[in-house]
Amino acid sequence: MGETWSQQVSRPYCTVEIWINEERLGRLQDIGLAELAEEVLAGMRVLRIPCAEVEARELLGQCPAAKHDAATTGTIELLPPAVKSALFELVVRHGSLDVVRDYLNDVSAESD
Amino acid sequence: MNNVGHGNSPITERVLSASDDMSAQLAGLRQVSVDGRVARETINLAYGFFTPLTGFMNSEDVHAVCNNMHLKSGVLWPIPIVLDASAEELHSNQIREGDGLLLTYEGNPLAVMDVEEIFDYDVEAMARAVLGTADTAHPGVGMYKSMRDRFVAGPVTLVAAPRFREPYDRFWHTPLELRRAFHDRQWLRVVAHQTRNVPHGGHEWLMKGAWFAANGDLGVERIQTGILVSCIIGPKRVGDYIDEAIILGHQALQDGGYFRRDVHLVSIALWDMRYAGPKEALFHAILRENMGCSHHMFGRDHAGVGRFYDPYDAHRIFDALGIEELAIKPVRLLEWWYCPVCKEITYSGLCGHVDRRQSFSGSMIRSILQDEVKPTTLVFRPEVFDATMTAAALYGGGSPFCTAEYLSSRPPVFDMPPTGSHAR
Repeated sequence: MGETWSQQVSRPYCTVEIWINEERLGRLQDIGLAELAEEVLAGMRVLRIPCAEVEARELLGQCPAAKHDAATTGTIELLPPAVKSALFELVVRHGSLDVVRDYLNDVSAESD
Repeated sequence: MNNVGHGNSPITERVLSASDDMSAQLAGLRQVSVDGRVARETINLAYGFFTPLTGFMNSEDVHAVCNNMHLKSGVLWPIPIVLDASAEELHSNQIREGDGLLLTYEGNPLAVMDVEEIFDYDVEAMARAVLGTADTAHPGVGMYKSMRDRFVAGPVTLVAAPRFREPYDRFWHTPLELRRAFHDRQWLRVVAHQTRNVPHGGHEWLMKGAWFAANGDLGVERIQTGILVSCIIGPKRVGDYIDEAIILGHQALQDGGYFRRDVHLVSIALWDMRYAGPKEALFHAILRENMGCSHHMFGRDHAGVGRFYDPYDAHRIFDALGIEELAIKPVRLLEWWYCPVCKEITYSGLCGHVDRRQSFSGSMIRSILQDEVKPTTLVFRPEVFDATMTAAALYGGGSPFCTAEYLSSRPPVFDMPPTGSHAR
């Protein structure tokens, strides 16, 4: 059975991958999200933050060096470390992966 | 101490000493300015890194190397070592065969050269012979095609020792100095690790595996095998590791105790990579033979690029050699990966959990460093990560990878004294 309309619109447009080391994994364990981080190399894990199309456009607008790799990984590459750290802190604070909009709002509020 | 190099020729240095007041003679020579590649190769020729060569190749040697992978003398040699110049410059300076030349680099005297021959050569044919292709997608092809239209052959003598800036000065060792260092450490065998990478866990185990292979049947009462980490210093591209991070990252493996000081030595080697895969692997073996090594490790896709070579072509080329042709043994290695079942970095030739393997992919390692997230100790030793990020801050404008700004503004790795001779 194919995807329903609601599944299609809720599917993330792309993801932002955040590296999870032992210290970060401990913080994810504290909020019950550790299982969402996939181990990829010798204890290093990746946490995939979903990002809607409009959010991706805004992120790319803020970070000109970043790129959306639509062809292979489907991720936003080359985001500055500070942006990824801020996204991770929001995950820990909110206990949720849906944090890109919150991040963009925070940045927008800071610039006002 | 054994100072016999490739082709059973002695390692000799051709460098004027401080006591040689040659200023009057140098002042009378016609000058030709050379680029970075030729400057690096001139230094290599003068210190014996390219033994038995003492100068840039003549047409007979270039032809023999391109067609038979040997010098005219019969000695194994896979890559032409040539000095290119423009016909216009040679003509306007009235430079002819039989002349003495002063090669200059960045405006300062570099070397004296006896011009034995000036000749033409088809650079596309040279590229095909070395690289196996003339496809411009291969980076080595661009290097050959950028060469100027004449080649000048003859022996070279450095007018002074080059001056290396910090931190390179601590890691620059000539073949004779390396042989002395090996002798002092009582190393009977030395296995070379050629690198252009900051060492991750896979590299560390590549070196350890090669050490075991090289050490082989030697007694255990005293360690008699060493590892020479030989960091290639040459042109860089955006996205490459900065050289300082590579060198200091490797040194951090020793400083952190992951390699004992008495089995591990980090050095630099000046070389412009051709990315010639198997032929370059052979050249690297000769280079390290001259540096005094008994073994050279070759992993997957050594000196390759893109899909121009099979990942293990660089291993197979050694099968075609006569036993007397090379006085250094290749240590052929497969991949080291992390296995979550074995819970260790392990060798692909031993681990049976192929479906569970976690490979050290370059893009993954790069992403970890770019995000500045301190990795687990099996991915990067903490000392290596710290040294890399310190090098990034000190030399790379905050990045361990070359940026356009880094490439345009970094000071040269070495220069030549402006006047007179300053031998070491």
